[in-house]
Amino acid sequence: MASNSTVTPKRGKLSGKDITKLGVRSIYNQSAMNYERMQSDGWTLAMTPMLKKVYGEDTDGLAAAMSANLQFINTNNYAAPLLMGLLASLEENGEQRSTIDGLRIALFGPLAGIGDAITWFTILPIVAGITASFAKQGSILGPLVFFLVYVALFFARIPIAHLGYSAGTKAIESIRENSAIVSHAASVLGCTVIGGLIASYVQIKVLTKIPVAAGHTISIQTQFFDRIFPNILPLGYTFLLYYLLKKKNTSPVLLILLTFVLAILLSWMGVL
Amino acid sequence: MTVTLGEGLLVSLFALISGIDFWLEGFYIFRPMIVCTVTGLMLGDLRLGIIAGGLTELAFAGLTPVGGTQPPNPVMAGIMTVVIAHTTGHSPATAIGLALPFSILMQYIILFYYSAFSVFTKKLDDYAKEANTKKFARLALMPTVVVGVTYAIIAFLCVYGAQAPMRELVNAMPGWLSHGFQIAGGILPAVGFGVLLKSMLKMQYVPYLLIGFTAACFIKFGNLMPVAVIGAALAFIEYSHARRNSVVDKKLKEIQDNANNGGEDDGI
Repeated sequence: MASNSTVTPKRGKLSGKDITKLGVRSIYNQSAMNYERMQSDGWTLAMTPMLKKVYGEDTDGLAAAMSANLQFINTNNYAAPLLMGLLASLEENGEQRSTIDGLRIALFGPLAGIGDAITWFTILPIVAGITASFAKQGSILGPLVFFLVYVALFFARIPIAHLGYSAGTKAIESIRENSAIVSHAASVLGCTVIGGLIASYVQIKVLTKIPVAAGHTISIQTQFFDRIFPNILPLGYTFLLYYLLKKKNTSPVLLILLTFVLAILLSWMGVL
Repeated sequence: MTVTLGEGLLVSLFALISGIDFWLEGFYIFRPMIVCTVTGLMLGDLRLGIIAGGLTELAFAGLTPVGGTQPPNPVMAGIMTVVIAHTTGHSPATAIGLALPFSILMQYIILFYYSAFSVFTKKLDDYAKEANTKKFARLALMPTVVVGVTYAIIAFLCVYGAQAPMRELVNAMPGWLSHGFQIAGGILPAVGFGVLLKSMLKMQYVPYLLIGFTAACFIKFGNLMPVAVIGAALAFIEYSHARRNSVVDKKLKEIQDNANNGGEDDGI
């Protein structure tokens, strides 16, 4: 159908190298982060060489593609290469502008959710929790393992971009369908580890001792709290903070200050 | 111990690099674990850097830039924790608390930039319309450069410029006050975990939190690996369970659909 003039089948072919480059360039995603449209400026910067290759001499097409990509986008930084790869395959196949844009807008949100659940709420607490236990004893193994994990994750952007490119729309549909299940499993793992982190790393010890008879005292910590359940104060305080954050919408900075004021006050009173 | 001019410049160069890394979220050398270690190395006290790295990393575990929010700055927190511990002789746990104002200062600078960088968007739109990729690339990288230079300047002023008044201030502190800071450093991870839980914890996940908590209380092991393995096992159980359910749901739906319009598409 010749009347369908917006589709120009003559588009440049992308090589595997172009997709690898796209994966590496996804690091620019936040280069110009701002409140007006979040990542879109950096997102477009990452995409331009790929778009340039696809559109070649067609500067109007390139301009339209760049302008379209400058619309608001805010996604997870490891999900970005996946979406970039997918969109690259659509641009290459000469899909309608509206189809490509629609997909980008529809997918960045769900992908951000699953990406954040995995990278910030699962991988970071686990890696930090385990490597910190080495670091606290002064072992270089802590920072070294931490560094290696994240270098590996950086290079994972390349296969992630290839995955997006080869996945096609159908596979993305199934990723979106399964994203709820994967997020759920990641949350189970994350919450289990955070429970462990609370027990291991939040430290509240009461120093107060109550004199019961001449020369005999009872320590509130060892003879009362520890008898109920170990680490019950850290768990209680974390839940209090969670309650304030979730139900009262208190800002984390305010809670940090509150923690300091309480700690200093109780230190002055000799309780902690 | 004092920070020499050379050390100050070295740390400020590292602040530039790790600041850009935080801006782009590239290699995660902006996390306190790495920032503290490198700062310690630069000041000639690697061991202090590593220990401070472990403590500060946990204090900042939940304070993450998810969804474009900006936490207290991990780069400045890491640098200043080590610098304060190094110059005043206080323990890293106390120094975390004293480093906090510097961290919050940087947080507000970045928040200001998030608003300020909107001024570039108009010009970028114009370049996009002209398909001028060269000028577009140059301008889109500008904010990153501005951020990097800001980190270098702020870090130099805090690390080298402000050390004398800071040391006087810290040395004038009474015992209960520095003890209070140390305690606060130990409780601080609770805020981070609270923030993590705010976005993750639903009623259905409370049991897993309790399992992890109890496991860590009673398994005496050097690190959290056992808890992570328990968590992974539970996650796998949940994953297979949910997958099976979704397959069954799909089949049920198919059967229902077939029953509803069986007359029309008998052939399929």
